[in-house]
Amino acid sequence: MLEIKDLTITYGRNTVIKELNLTVPKGDVLAVIGESGAGKTTLALSLMGLCPGNVEGQIIYQGVDFLSLPEPQRRLLRWNKVSMVFQDLNRSFNPVMTVLEQIMEPMLEHELLSRKEAQKKAYYLLNKVGLAPVKGQMYPHQLSGGEKQRALIAMALTNDPEVLILDEPTAALDGLTKAKICELLKEVFSEKTVVLVTHDLSTAYQLANRVAVLYQGRIMELGLTKDILKNPRHPYTRGLVRSFPTLDATKDLQGIPGFGIEKQEGCVFANRCTQRIADCTKIIPKLEKRGEREIACLRGGVVNLLKVEDLTKVYSGVTALKGVSLDIEEGETVAVVGESGSGKTTLALCLMGLEKANQGSIYFQGEKIVKWNKEFYQKVQMIFQNPQDCISHRLNVLETVCEPLVIQKLGTPEERIHKAKKALRDVELPDEDEFLNRYAHHLSGGELQRLAIARALVLEPKLLIADEPTSALDASIQAKIMRLIMDLQEKRGLSILFITHDLALARKVSDRVFVLKDGQVVERGLSTQIFSLPQHPYTRKLLQATANFSDF
Amino acid sequence: MHINYVRGFKENRLGRLGIIFLALILSIAFLAPVLTAYSPRQVSENIFQPPSQKHWLGTNDLGQDIWSRVIFGARTSFITALSVGILTVTLAVFIGCSAALLRGIYERFVLRLIDIFLIIPNILLLLLTAAYLRPGPVTMVIVLSIFNWPGCARIIRAQTLTLQEKSHIKAAKTFGAGTFYILVKHIIPDLGPILASSFIAHARRAVFMEAGLAFLGISDPLLISWGTIINRALQYSYLNNWYWLLPPALGLSLTVMAFSFLGYTLEEILNPRLKVGKNAGD
Repeated sequence: MLEIKDLTITYGRNTVIKELNLTVPKGDVLAVIGESGAGKTTLALSLMGLCPGNVEGQIIYQGVDFLSLPEPQRRLLRWNKVSMVFQDLNRSFNPVMTVLEQIMEPMLEHELLSRKEAQKKAYYLLNKVGLAPVKGQMYPHQLSGGEKQRALIAMALTNDPEVLILDEPTAALDGLTKAKICELLKEVFSEKTVVLVTHDLSTAYQLANRVAVLYQGRIMELGLTKDILKNPRHPYTRGLVRSFPTLDATKDLQGIPGFGIEKQEGCVFANRCTQRIADCTKIIPKLEKRGEREIACLRGGVVNLLKVEDLTKVYSGVTALKGVSLDIEEGETVAVVGESGSGKTTLALCLMGLEKANQGSIYFQGEKIVKWNKEFYQKVQMIFQNPQDCISHRLNVLETVCEPLVIQKLGTPEERIHKAKKALRDVELPDEDEFLNRYAHHLSGGELQRLAIARALVLEPKLLIADEPTSALDASIQAKIMRLIMDLQEKRGLSILFITHDLALARKVSDRVFVLKDGQVVERGLSTQIFSLPQHPYTRKLLQATANFSDF
Repeated sequence: MHINYVRGFKENRLGRLGIIFLALILSIAFLAPVLTAYSPRQVSENIFQPPSQKHWLGTNDLGQDIWSRVIFGARTSFITALSVGILTVTLAVFIGCSAALLRGIYERFVLRLIDIFLIIPNILLLLLTAAYLRPGPVTMVIVLSIFNWPGCARIIRAQTLTLQEKSHIKAAKTFGAGTFYILVKHIIPDLGPILASSFIAHARRAVFMEAGLAFLGISDPLLISWGTIINRALQYSYLNNWYWLLPPALGLSLTVMAFSFLGYTLEEILNPRLKVGKNAGD
């Protein structure tokens, strides 16, 4: 049992760990994940009493506050009760001692065993971690990376500690060695209390049963590994998961915008968070229980942006939508796929208030939409299917992009021009006067579509409903435009309802997918699941008809 | 669809002719005071004079200079044409667009009203109304406009309904635009071609109707109008006064022709399928 209470660690003026509270029950494997600089190693070192900084708070092992003990007593605990596998393979060994001698050292140091017994146990441990006895006679530089890692693990196990702390045990190892080390660690972990510090989410996923997400010395999210890594609820965790490449992830990699700032009021993640509100920079969010997990977020984690319940639309006898329900979260891409005539565009038009649904309700940011007013349109924008039609032939480029601002009565004319130019640059269109004075019929299809996107983005909406935004474009321009939209999602937390018939494209950009057939949602779920294991025959049919270069 | 009107008119023979006619008559109307030494109302003792150096087209039964009356008549014709054109189109836009935008009972009411106007033979009604009201120039314009708007409004309503389905108008709605903004910034400018051709059609009609009513004597007798001149000339036709009868008739034909040619040309520019020859489908 390991308990951390109000732990605060400072290096000079930098506070690295801030009032951290954490409990690791006996037999639990807790992974601490986060970007580098989050304070993971500092936390690990402090658990060993080895942190060079100013440490305040309590670290309690079996009822004893480790930090309040004087150094001699700490040394008794160290390596007997708590041991650690250090991060840096090369610097954790003494280069002039053999591996065996180094494994024996803790036993001899604590005078637990005689030299002979110690040697015997060291060989046993070498065997346990899968190293041949001959490796014991070698010097550290003669071992490979994987072997060094194994030797380090053996060293940590010498005195049979109850608490094991591992700092990046699999970093810098190749995939196969990593898998072997993970296998080994799984065996080693039995009955031990383990704190595993890593930035490698897959290692955490395989080894830990619980995960704490650390950012700037604070825990952002805490809960069961499967829950957290498969369905992250804190914006920071979601960012971590999105930027971690795995085989089953279909969506392109996305990072977390910005950099951490050490000193800031309120939530430590506020400056990088795309869903922050005014309070986020004032109030420090507490780690609060939300269902199975704990989240430190004033907004309770990733917020729901749009919710559609039981939407039905009938056009003179033809049912275009039959009880469609869906939801979109902040910063998420939801793809709606289906063949033409499946009701995709009708859905978009109903959401935008351009068609009145016969039945059902639409909630935006938790409020039911009764009247589609200017405030709604400021936050929700749509990219229409055909850029040729949706831009008036009487407006030039500048007037086109400024139109939403003019209608919303936002800013002075100069500010509008400034914003419009920025929006044009965002979509990689020129902002020179010559271009600003052109008309829609002077532009190419790709330029027109980008112009339409710039116009939709000039209001900086939270939700973008994109109805086949790239269906009229060639693949290279499509790639550019989709990258652009995904970049905006990363930067601004833009939510996207992506309506398309192109499943290959949907697979690359979406977090979740809704499959629409004859106005009904026949399948829904995470993109990772739907594209690898489609359940509904219609989804399978759609997938079979999707572009590919395979020979089967 | 971006229309280059200037090029369209330049390339069209009828269009050029229409513009020349119109320019000719317009300049005559505009420069009328310079082109004659006589006031068109000035009565003299020299009645029934044949054309001479002094009176280019002679004088009428009251000794008024016919040339002055003809060129000043062009003014009446034009002012009536412009006013009726503008008023008719404005009424039609107002009623047609509002019907299309507001829909509902209002639209049904407007449509039935238009039907009623269209089934009543409006020349007859016009004659009766004009005769009853004894109109001056202003009443004349109003009455003509009131009988002209329904057809135009019907076209505008239909076109507005079509335009509303256009993506760029839907897009404007998704920026939060209200009905008025969409009407003023998108629909009316997009109706431009239709408004232009309606305007020309109604202006042409107005020239003809004004002269016709004046000819029938249902007009202000003091108004200098080609219709009145022809009427008077016909009363004294036994004098073989071609110089009195022909010039106003010629002016009238020229004006109507000018407007017609403009109308045809406009139609061709707006509907490229009507275009014959090399630039078809441009």
